[in-house]
Amino acid sequence: MMEFLDQLWSFNLDRETVYGLFQQSLVFIIGMTAILASLGVILCASPIYSALYLIGNMVCLAMLFLLFNAEFLAVVQVVVYAGAVMILFLFIIALLGSKEEKRELSFQNFTALSFVGLLFGELLMSMMVGETKPVLGQVTPEVVQQVGSAKAIGIELFSNHIVPFELASLLLLVAAVGIISLAKFSYKPLRKRTRT
Amino acid sequence: MIDDILNFLDPYWWLIIGVVKAVIIAVGLLSTVPLLVWLERRLMGRFQVRLGPNRVGPLGLGQALADAIKLLFKENIVQSSADKFLFYLAPAVVVFTAIVTFSAIPFGEPFEVGGESIGLWGANLNIGLLFIFAVSSMGIYGIVLAGLSSNNKYSLMGGLRSSAQMISYELTLGLSALCVVLMSGSLNLYDIVKSQSDMPYAIPLFPAFVLFFIAGVAETNRAPFDLPEAEQELVAGFFTEYSGMKFAMFFMGEYINMITMSALITILFLGGWNSYIGFDIPILVFAFKVFLLLCVFIWLRSTFPRIRYDRLMTFGWKILLPTSLVTMLAYSAIKVLVIDA
Repeated sequence: MMEFLDQLWSFNLDRETVYGLFQQSLVFIIGMTAILASLGVILCASPIYSALYLIGNMVCLAMLFLLFNAEFLAVVQVVVYAGAVMILFLFIIALLGSKEEKRELSFQNFTALSFVGLLFGELLMSMMVGETKPVLGQVTPEVVQQVGSAKAIGIELFSNHIVPFELASLLLLVAAVGIISLAKFSYKPLRKRTRT
Repeated sequence: MIDDILNFLDPYWWLIIGVVKAVIIAVGLLSTVPLLVWLERRLMGRFQVRLGPNRVGPLGLGQALADAIKLLFKENIVQSSADKFLFYLAPAVVVFTAIVTFSAIPFGEPFEVGGESIGLWGANLNIGLLFIFAVSSMGIYGIVLAGLSSNNKYSLMGGLRSSAQMISYELTLGLSALCVVLMSGSLNLYDIVKSQSDMPYAIPLFPAFVLFFIAGVAETNRAPFDLPEAEQELVAGFFTEYSGMKFAMFFMGEYINMITMSALITILFLGGWNSYIGFDIPILVFAFKVFLLLCVFIWLRSTFPRIRYDRLMTFGWKILLPTSLVTMLAYSAIKVLVIDA
């Protein structure tokens, strides 16, 4: 026991090293979990489990955002995708009933699988290319604190990207109106409508 | 030997503090649940002009312990047509999300020990409010999965109802909390409490407070919004098929959510640990406010009948949501035109 502690002591691990190692291993573990979960989405026979794997994948992505200091994005990822969209998915699965798919290797499945394999190959290729573009400018703790915060994202959205942002919100409004009109007013053929 | 270990641990004591905090929060919350159940039964008894549990131990306090032991030793029935994995997963999700949600809630000023300040919170996040909404929205999955995996139509109905209800009332919850964020200019719960040192937001933001409270009651699935487990129509709703400790875990989740919601209302609208009357023990002030809100929750349950399902939806989408939108618009106008100008 004593020897073991001495050995650890001799590495002289300080806070930063431990933290860095810890973060790297966390990124690796979470990333692998995300990949496994996304594999689960496409390989699972039962729709409920597919949806659950998708939720797991989204939560893993949110955790990756969190590790890279983008806490606002992480939480938005969970609120919007995992919290709202996936609930509706589960809702639909519950209402339509979940039938397990039969597993058989047809031509379509083969094509789909080979396509997935191709994408994976591409992913591996992109890993070989090298480092991604580094963040420009001075990197100080203050800057790092600022990057992922709600304030920074808000200022960026409402100054540099105000027009696309408003256009997107308009698009969402149109979609909402469309859904309400589809759900509320059932479409009748023209001839019947004139008669009433 | 012990010296060696202490020497080794010295640089890492911030990790140890984190672990200790996590354990304290989890154990504290879980042990509050039986007390809260006891409080609810006693108070309900008073409200309905009867005694409530008073036989086991002083004031009937032993009843909480007896119930916990009974639930632990009950047989765990899993019906053969259930989806086993999801059936076991659902109560765990409910309790896990409930405890994690509470970890982001601050309940006092930080204090100094050995030169390092220890905050009275699990984690003081810059996006604390959003984090709480995010994790508590994950809690819905526990309920939906319980409904789906039980292979029982009552459970399924309960699960669907609860997800629909929680999605609808989450909007109002978020919009009325946004009023507070507008006024305080921060998503950090600690900063929000700090900005209320003169006056709790419940006074200037009274409409938002009322909206948040109503949506909060609906969000925790408490009466009069306890449609997911409406006994008369759905047997017990989403946990019809559950028994023993798994049944108790759903209860735990509900009561922890109740505590979290009370704490959140205290922080956002009632000024957190600011006492305003010169009483200066922050934790006690905070606990007192939370206790008061819990009593109001229980009071509501024993007073109001359950709302019909379609009325619930109409109320949520046609009354609460437009009102909260208008409230938010009004407060942002006030903020821009009056306060900032």
